[in-house]
Amino acid sequence: MTHLFEQYGDMIPDFSCFQESLRRPLPTHIRINRLKIAPSSLVEVLEEKGIRLQPASRRHDTLWLAPDLRLPGNMLEYFLGYIHPQALTSALAGIILSPHENSCVLDMCAAPGGKTSHCAEIMNNTGLIIANELYPARHIPLGHTLARTGVMNAVVTGYQAQEFPLKQRFDFILADVPCSCEGEFRVSRKRDTYREDRGKKMLPELQKKILLRGFDLLRQKGKMLYATCTYNPLENESVVNHLLNEREAEVFSIDTEFCVEPGLTQWKKETYDKRLQRTIRFYPHRVDSVGFFMASIGRRG
Amino acid sequence: MAEEAERQHLFSYLEHRFGISRKHFADYLLLRKRRTWFLLRDTAFISSAVRLKPVQAGLRAFQQVGGFVKPTTRFIQTFGRFADRSRVQIDLVRLQALLRGEKIHVDLPLHNGYVILVIGKGHVLGLGLYVNGRISSQLPRKEIRDAMLS
Repeated sequence: MTHLFEQYGDMIPDFSCFQESLRRPLPTHIRINRLKIAPSSLVEVLEEKGIRLQPASRRHDTLWLAPDLRLPGNMLEYFLGYIHPQALTSALAGIILSPHENSCVLDMCAAPGGKTSHCAEIMNNTGLIIANELYPARHIPLGHTLARTGVMNAVVTGYQAQEFPLKQRFDFILADVPCSCEGEFRVSRKRDTYREDRGKKMLPELQKKILLRGFDLLRQKGKMLYATCTYNPLENESVVNHLLNEREAEVFSIDTEFCVEPGLTQWKKETYDKRLQRTIRFYPHRVDSVGFFMASIGRRG
Repeated sequence: MAEEAERQHLFSYLEHRFGISRKHFADYLLLRKRRTWFLLRDTAFISSAVRLKPVQAGLRAFQQVGGFVKPTTRFIQTFGRFADRSRVQIDLVRLQALLRGEKIHVDLPLHNGYVILVIGKGHVLGLGLYVNGRISSQLPRKEIRDAMLS
């Protein structure tokens, strides 16, 4: 266990607690889909079945911890589109972006559609979401998620995110980019060692390109959320820092009820713009969910 | 975009068969791609979406099945709550029977055709096909796991 993510030993606070948290399985969180059912009604339905839910958020009644549910996808309520199994921190992406009703939204890397459907729910199925996904094979699960959850304001496109056409500007953009997914790691019976993925060295360049393109697609008063589920600063603060160097961008503070750490202003030999402190890091020993990095970005002025 | 005549035909069917008023679709566009119709929220941004070469748009709402047009399960799950007729309340036992491929007997003052299957306190499952006093399932069997029925 001591070797897990040891490269982050000086970066992650209470590092031993962090490592210990990786021994625990990910808890089961669900998001109640208000497009289909009121949260209070769904809670009542499940309680009648003897299934206990616990609120996962003080502010948002759609986010629940479901300790009694091992496989929410096996429930009739899943088939009906009432619930979507989603990590708590993943659901916070849509909440932090908070797209308005009747706005124009771009989800740059949409599959499998959990965050897309969440945006649609927040927008009350109004406005337009462009759900972009490069790989045709992933259009299938994306389409299924959107259909099951009753999304009717989304259009699916198939562009490379970093080359999304500049024909249109968006009010809100979600850049939940491909990443090394370190934040999803928990010790399981299947593997007890963390292996470096050589492919992840290519990721920062791709992420930078996606973030730049997303910024160029943003309206003047628009808002973008850059999100990864990794701890690696080279995929997080370094990418946002690159944007700040290349564009007239601003990083905004994020208000959340959850315990987060601020973004880094330096990592190894790299120094980052001090505005990176306004980004946030979710760690599993602080919020028992998938590790995430998020940055709220807009145009300066 | 579907032609206005198609729109009128489909929504008239919903109104006539299920009592679902066409007013519920006033804010939506009806799109057609070959034998399938999609419902997409109308918005000022639609022209932008068209320029972007969509792969899919909106919710798949109707499917041509032989000589008939069938509302999809997901469409009925969304709008079926507005129906005031051709609704059949079933329980888990009858649902399990339907999903095994059995037909269930019901006594309804209805013409043959699709009916909305409802379980519990108004939870719309999808469609059944009512023919001469018996209903067979039109639910997507692959999407309903056995574990959901316990």
